Amino acid sequence: MVAMATTLFATTSCMDGDWDAPDLTNPPYGNNTITVRKATTIAQLKKTYSSEIANKGYKLVTDDIQLKAIVTGNDIGGNLYKQISIQDETGDMIVGINASGLYPYMAVGQTIIINLKDLYIGGYGQQAQIGSLYNGGIGRMEQDVWKQHVRLVGAPKPELVVPVEFDPTWNMADYCGKYVKLTDVTIEGADGKAVLAPDDGSVSLTSNCANRNIKGLSKTNVVLRTSTYADFANMVIPSGKVDIYGIATRYNNTWQILMRSESDIVIK
Amino acid sequence: MRKELKLVAVLLLLAPLCFAQQTNQDALKVMKSDQASFTFTESQLGEDDDVTQNVIMVNSNNNVYTSNIGYLFSPMRFKYRAYGSRYNDVYFNGVNVNNAENGQFNYSTVGGMNDATRGQESVSPYESNMFGVPNLGGASNYNFRASNYAAGSKATLSGCNRNYVARAMFTHATGLMKNGWAFMGTVGYRWGKEGFSEGTFYNSLGYFLSAQKVFNDNHSLSFATWGNPSERSQQGASTDEAYWLANDRYYNPYWGYQNGKKRNSRVVNNYEPTALITWDYKINDKASLTTSLLGRYVMYSSTKLNYNNANNPAPDYWKNFPSYQYNVWEPGSEDNTEDALAGWWNSYNYWTASKANRQINWDNLYFANQQLNAQGADAAYYIQAKHNDHLTMNLSSTFNFEINKQSKFVGGVQLGTNKGMHYQTMEDMLGAKYLRNINTYAVGTYPASDPRVQYDLNNPNAYVQEGDKFGYDYDLNVQNAKLWAKYEAEEEGVRAFLAGQIGGTQMWRTGHMRHGMAANNSYGDSQKAYFLDGGVKMGSTFSLGHGNSITLGLGLESRAPRANVAFVAPEINNDFVDDLKCEQILSAELGYALNTQWVRANLTGYYACSRKGNEWQNFYFDDVNSFTYVSLSDVAKDYYGVELGIQLKLTSNFRINLIGSMSDAKYVENTNVKYMLSTEGETKSDVCYNKDMRESGTPLTVGSIGLSYNVNGWWLDLKGNYYDRIYLSYSPNRRYGSTMVTNGDIDNAGNYIVPEQAQGEGGFMLDASIGRQFNIGRGQKLGVNLMLTNVLNNTDMVSGGYEQSRSDYTTNSDGTKNDVRTYKFSHNPKKYYAQGINGMLNVTYRF
Repeated sequence: MVAMATTLFATTSCMDGDWDAPDLTNPPYGNNTITVRKATTIAQLKKTYSSEIANKGYKLVTDDIQLKAIVTGNDIGGNLYKQISIQDETGDMIVGINASGLYPYMAVGQTIIINLKDLYIGGYGQQAQIGSLYNGGIGRMEQDVWKQHVRLVGAPKPELVVPVEFDPTWNMADYCGKYVKLTDVTIEGADGKAVLAPDDGSVSLTSNCANRNIKGLSKTNVVLRTSTYADFANMVIPSGKVDIYGIATRYNNTWQILMRSESDIVIK
Repeated sequence: MRKELKLVAVLLLLAPLCFAQQTNQDALKVMKSDQASFTFTESQLGEDDDVTQNVIMVNSNNNVYTSNIGYLFSPMRFKYRAYGSRYNDVYFNGVNVNNAENGQFNYSTVGGMNDATRGQESVSPYESNMFGVPNLGGASNYNFRASNYAAGSKATLSGCNRNYVARAMFTHATGLMKNGWAFMGTVGYRWGKEGFSEGTFYNSLGYFLSAQKVFNDNHSLSFATWGNPSERSQQGASTDEAYWLANDRYYNPYWGYQNGKKRNSRVVNNYEPTALITWDYKINDKASLTTSLLGRYVMYSSTKLNYNNANNPAPDYWKNFPSYQYNVWEPGSEDNTEDALAGWWNSYNYWTASKANRQINWDNLYFANQQLNAQGADAAYYIQAKHNDHLTMNLSSTFNFEINKQSKFVGGVQLGTNKGMHYQTMEDMLGAKYLRNINTYAVGTYPASDPRVQYDLNNPNAYVQEGDKFGYDYDLNVQNAKLWAKYEAEEEGVRAFLAGQIGGTQMWRTGHMRHGMAANNSYGDSQKAYFLDGGVKMGSTFSLGHGNSITLGLGLESRAPRANVAFVAPEINNDFVDDLKCEQILSAELGYALNTQWVRANLTGYYACSRKGNEWQNFYFDDVNSFTYVSLSDVAKDYYGVELGIQLKLTSNFRINLIGSMSDAKYVENTNVKYMLSTEGETKSDVCYNKDMRESGTPLTVGSIGLSYNVNGWWLDLKGNYYDRIYLSYSPNRRYGSTMVTNGDIDNAGNYIVPEQAQGEGGFMLDASIGRQFNIGRGQKLGVNLMLTNVLNNTDMVSGGYEQSRSDYTTNSDGTKNDVRTYKFSHNPKKYYAQGINGMLNVTYRF
C-alpha cells in the first residue's frame, strides 16, 4: 500500500511545477503599436518650445511627432522622483511621470520612442520637461498616459550612456538634463557626521530635498541635490575630493546635480 | 472540471439503485461521523495557516451542545467559546502532540486519513478522562492501536466543490488476529485542479499504517506511522471594493496568468511524517501503564510574491483602486475634482475590462527583472518561501489505578522537546539574476553601504540564488516536562474528579545569521528562559434524580508563555520580551442537564479570565514606513457565555435539535505594547487601546434548529443555522496612543476616541444531508450520502478577515500628520466571505 501511495503521489505531485519564463518579445510595458511617423529631436523640441521652457510655460503638442531617445537616469535610488532623464544625439530632457518604481522599465540605456502628440512640453524652473499640466504649469503625466505614449525598443544597453565632463559655464538651456561627471570636487558641509539629506531639520529643505554646495568648480552656482527619501539620503558626506556622476538639471540659474544611486559618488 | 464532477455525481447516485436496500443504524452513525471528520479535517482546519489557525475540535458524550457544535457551525469557522486552538489539547495514544512552540495542534497533520482518526475520546473542559488534565477548550485522545480498528476493507469515493473536487480513500484492517498481531492501513488522496476560489489548487496524499503485537494478557506493543504530503494554493482576503469590481465574493488576488495558465503566488507545501510507539502494560487487574514515544518532523513552507525597491505587485494594492482616485466616502471633499472623478472611472474601467487586469501580471514582473539584469541591479520581484519546520520528540507515561469500584487514580508524565526551524528561502527569481541578502526596508534610513542593512554580517552582500536562505534563519528551542495526576470518585449520586499538574519549560533562540541591527545579539544561542507552571482543576456532577443533574467545574492555572510570542523580534535578534510572565487563568462552568427518554437538554454558563497573557504579531506599519514586530504583554481577556442544547426525540425516527450560544470574548484592559521597527532595530513602547476588542473570526452568537428524520433506512438532516456578531481581527497600531494623537482621535475632554472594531455580516444558512447504507450481500455494504451546505446560497456572510494596518493619513518625518489620504483604510477591512451553496457526495464500499 505504501508503494501504491508513493506511486500515486509521485505521479501526481507538484501541481505548482517549474514555470517557464513568459515570452517577452513584445514588452508588456508601454504601447507596442507606436511607430516613428515623423521624427523629431530634443534640440528641435527645445528650440520649438524655447519660450515656454524659459518662462515657466507649457504647450500642448498637437503635431503627430515622435522622439527616439535613450534613458540616462531613473528612480533606482529614489533621488530622481517620478521622473526620468533622456538623451539623444542632440540634447537632453526630463520626462515627468506620476509613478514610482519606474526604473525596472525605464532602465538606464533603454531606447524608447515617445509619441509626443497630446503631451505637454514646458519648463519647470526653466528645465525642459515633457509631461502633463499640474497647477497651471508643466507637471507629471499619469502613468496610464505615459504607457500609451511610450514604446520600449530592444534591451537596455547601459554602455550607450556615457557621462560628459561637467562644465558650469555651459549654456544652461542647451545642456540642462545631461548625464555628467564632476571630477575632483568637494561637497560643502562635510564634518564626518553630517549626512547628505537629513530630515531632522539640520538643513533647510525644498520639496523634501537638501542642496549641498559643490566646491572646486569655476562657478559657484552648482549644488548636489538629494531627496530625504533617497536610498543614500543618510550617507555621511565624504570630506575629501570625490567624483560625482549625475543628471545636471537646472532650477532657474542654479545647476542641480541629481545622483541616481549611491554608486554615483566615488570617494578618492 | 465541473462537468466531470457532475458526471461522477450522477453515476454515484445511480449506483445504489442496483442493490438491495437494507439499513444499519450503526453504519449510519459512522457515515455521519465521516461528515464530521470531513468538515473538520479537510474543509476547515489548518487550511489558512497564514491567517489564524484557531479552530478547535471539541466533543463530549454527555452534553448535547458540545457534542453537536463540532461540525455544525464550521462553515462560518465557529470557535468553541472563542478560544484559540492552544486552549485545546490533542493526544495520540496518551502522548500530547500540541506543538510546544505555539501550543497549537495542526489538524491538517491528519488530513485525508479519516478512517484512522475516528477512534477518539473527546472531553469538554471539565470532564474526566484517562489521558490528562483537560485544557480550557477541552481535549481529545486518538487511539492509533491497530487492534482498535474493526477488521475489513473500505473504499470511499467523494466528489465536491470546495477546496478540492475529488477524494479517494482505501482502508484495510485485520483486527486482532489469533497470532496476536493486528494491522491497519489507510491511504487517501484529495485533488482539485481548481477549488471554489479561482486560481487555487489542491493536491494531498494522506497515509497511515499501524501494527500491533499483543504478546500476552499483560503486554502489547503498537507502532503507527503516518504523513500527509500536501501542496495547495491559497485564497487571499480582499476588500468589498475589490469584490464589487470583480463581481465575485471569492475574488482571489493571489493568482495571475502566466503563459495563459493560472499561477498562484501563495503555495503551501506541508509534510509531517510521524512515528509513534506505544507499550501497554497491564500490571494487574487494577493497574496499568501506557507509555508512548512520538517522533515527528514537520516540513512546512508557504510562498509569497515579494518586491524590492519597486511597486507592490498585488493587484488589489490600495493605489490600484478607484477609491484611491476619488473620495467615495466624502463625495463633497474638495479633493474630488473632475480629474479625480476621471481617475475613478479610469481605474474602474481597468478593473472591469478584463479578468487579467485584476490579477497578478506575471509578464510585467518577469520583464522588470529582465530589464534589471541588463543594469546589473537586484531583482525587483521574486517568490520567497517562509519555512516553519519542526523536529519533535514526545514521551508520555500514564499510570492507571482502580482503587475500588468507586474511585480511580490516574497520573502520568509528559516530556517533550521541540526544535522549530524558521527560515526564508528563495523559491523563484522570476528571471532575475541578482538579489543581495540585504534589508531593503532599512535602506534609506541607512545607506546601502552601512553594515546595519545586512541580514547576515557573516556573509555580507551575499548574492541569493534559488533555494538559498535569506532574510532570516533561526531556531526556537523548547523543552518541557509535566507531571499530572487525577483522582476520581463516585458516591450517592455525586461524581467528581480533582486533577493537578506541575511542569517546567525552558526555551531559547539560536540564530544562524548575524543581523546588521543586532551584530552582537543575533548569532548563536540566546539566554535561556525558564518557567514553572501548573494548575488544578475539578469537575463534578450532582444527580438530582428523575434525569436532572447539575454540573460544576473549576480551574486555576498558571501557564508558561509560548516561545512564538516570547521574543521581541525573533527574525532579528535574541531578545526576550521584557517582563515575560506566566499567563494566569481562572475558569468556571455551571450547568444543568436533563436526560429523559424523550428529551436531552443542557444549559451551561461559563466564565474564564486570562491575565498576564502575551501576544505577538508582525506587519507593515505605515506611519513609520517600516515593517514592525509587535509584542503585547500583560494581556487581560475575559471569556464568558451561555450555551443551550436540546435534543427532542419526538418519535422513534424523528428528532429535533435546538443548539445555541451567546458569548463574549474580549480584552478587558488596554495593553502595553512594545514594537521594533525593521528599519531601526530599536524597541518602542506605547499603549494599545484595545479594551473591548473582541476575538475575531468566529460568530459570538450562534443558533440552530436541526431536524433529523429516518425512514426506510434513509436518514435526512436539515439544519437552519444563524450566525451573528462576527468581528474582524483588529489592527493594534490604529489604536496606539501615539497613532490616535497623530490622527486627532481625542475628544474635548482629552479622551481617546478609539476606532470601533470592524465587523462582518452574519446571517442564516440552511444545510441539508441525506444518506443511506445498503447491504449488498456477503457482508458487503454500500453507503451513499450527500451533504449540501448553504442550500439557500447566502453569499453575504463573512467568515473572517482583518482590519488593514495602515492609516488614513500620511505623516511627516517627525511623525506628525501631513495629509489626509483619499483612500480610507479604515473603511476597507479585508474579508473572507463564506462559500455559497456547496456539496459533497460520498460513496463508501465496505467488503
